[in-house]
Amino acid sequence: MSATSLSDHIPDLNLITYYAETRRTCFSRVSPWTKFSLLILIIFLVTLTKDFIILAGLYSIVLGSYAGARLPVRKLFAWYALPVIFVLSLVGIMAWNEPGNAVISFSIAGIPFMLTDKGILLIITLLLKALTVVTYSLFFLMTTRYQHFSAMIYRIFPSPIDQIFLMAYRFLFLTLAMTGSIIKAVRSRGGGLIHSIHTQGQLFAEIFALVFIRSFERSERVHKAMIARGFSGSYRTAAEVPALHLYEYVILGICAAVVITVALNDITIWRIVTP
Amino acid sequence: MEDSNTMTIIRADTAGIPHCAHNDKERELIHVDCASHIYPDGSVGIHDMCFYVQKNEIVALCGPNGSGKSTLIEHLNGLLTPSKGNIAVNGRSITTDEHTNLWREVGVVFQQSDDQLFAPTVLDDVMFGPLNLGLSLDAAKDSAMEALEAVGAADLVSKLPNYLSGGQKRLVSIAGILAMKPRIIALDEPTSDLDPVHSGMVEHLIYDLKERFGISVVIATHDLDLAARIADRICLVRQGSVFAEGAPAEIFYDEVLLRETGLKPPQIVQVYLAYCQMRGIVADYNPITIEETMEAIRRQ
Repeated sequence: MSATSLSDHIPDLNLITYYAETRRTCFSRVSPWTKFSLLILIIFLVTLTKDFIILAGLYSIVLGSYAGARLPVRKLFAWYALPVIFVLSLVGIMAWNEPGNAVISFSIAGIPFMLTDKGILLIITLLLKALTVVTYSLFFLMTTRYQHFSAMIYRIFPSPIDQIFLMAYRFLFLTLAMTGSIIKAVRSRGGGLIHSIHTQGQLFAEIFALVFIRSFERSERVHKAMIARGFSGSYRTAAEVPALHLYEYVILGICAAVVITVALNDITIWRIVTP
Repeated sequence: MEDSNTMTIIRADTAGIPHCAHNDKERELIHVDCASHIYPDGSVGIHDMCFYVQKNEIVALCGPNGSGKSTLIEHLNGLLTPSKGNIAVNGRSITTDEHTNLWREVGVVFQQSDDQLFAPTVLDDVMFGPLNLGLSLDAAKDSAMEALEAVGAADLVSKLPNYLSGGQKRLVSIAGILAMKPRIIALDEPTSDLDPVHSGMVEHLIYDLKERFGISVVIATHDLDLAARIADRICLVRQGSVFAEGAPAEIFYDEVLLRETGLKPPQIVQVYLAYCQMRGIVADYNPITIEETMEAIRRQ
């Protein structure tokens, strides 16, 4: 856990950027535009298909790429905590009483509850969808230098959204560092240990309020420093995003064809390759 | 600093009203003429502030916390406009509209570098000012590279500001201002929070700004040792106005004046005075640097 990391289960922005800036593999040389386009295609694919085999295959490829880029797999599994909790909190209710063969069944106050094989498959399918997108997003962030990433933001988003993004990223570091030092100061005086939900809740509320106030003050100072250099409402970034190589066009073409095929025919890749 | 021993101290009169010094109008770049500023909450930032900067000089604003140093710097850059009094650039009083363009003349390096470095990369940040001046992207890049080389930070060009050390951040902040080629650069506490090595680098750079680039420098600082080493002129600021001004060799040997301002003499002055007292001699010369002090001791 780095100085700015709040928990092992929350993606560490500092670590993500460290890998993006320092780790050089074949994936780092791929154009960020290609990786971004693949992200869009993956989102389309996981949205359109319900096929377990396609999703499992896609997740395996994404996880394999992540590991192949020499990114920290154990950390990744720890970072899965939040998306898993998010998915389970939604599917936990939907999965019960799905038609299918009962795996677990019981009743409470005369109301029957049944978890079927289809219900479990639904949970696994949605988890795969979520984890595929999360894993690929982290892979994208951790293999793309921030100057390229910021240049993409500058080109994709209209003003002032691009400006907000560009500044927000830099100040996320500072806000996280500030939150980290407040938590350290609290812990150093015996705070932060769970005495009661009420005490803990009050403590977090105080930390949140303090971070909010300090961030507000900092934003005023930043704005002042920008005005002092003639800021008139917008600024631009100088970085250029590396262009796509020919093989990247081919890969993107193939991937797009696969997604379109799945979308149009609603058939599995397995059926395509083994008629 | 050849004439540092010949300048006389000019101080506020007995009623506490300061006077603008009779400076060389030919060399004057900017003149804050009896300006006052009251913040919206009613607190007084500066009052009857008279201050000027001449060509090719380093002026140190020395005073305790809350004395108005930073408020004055913000007036020089046009971030604040005086509630009373006015500001003259090159001998001409500027209008209210022109205040917003003072940033072209006076660059400000803020105390907290993290507040100044907001862009995704060092190059983007240093280019920010030149782009606002209306330079093309290529010209702004050239200007930024030139400034980064001048401060010795060219190797940081593609780095993220977040991964720079405190000293590197300060150098990049200065480059961000230098790239705009202002006539005056004002630095608020330029060496605070820096280790001795980076502090020395910033000090050397401030000296270079004047000597190599012909830029006048204003530093607001508590570090009287720094002020003693590099400033041509010291302005003691107290309760929102310049209380006294003069050469470092005169100001820093006037213990009564420093005490009235809430400051202590620089360490080198304290050491030399203690030495003179120990030897029972009267100092006829006011050394303010290590070299001068060594020379003074050798002569005795």
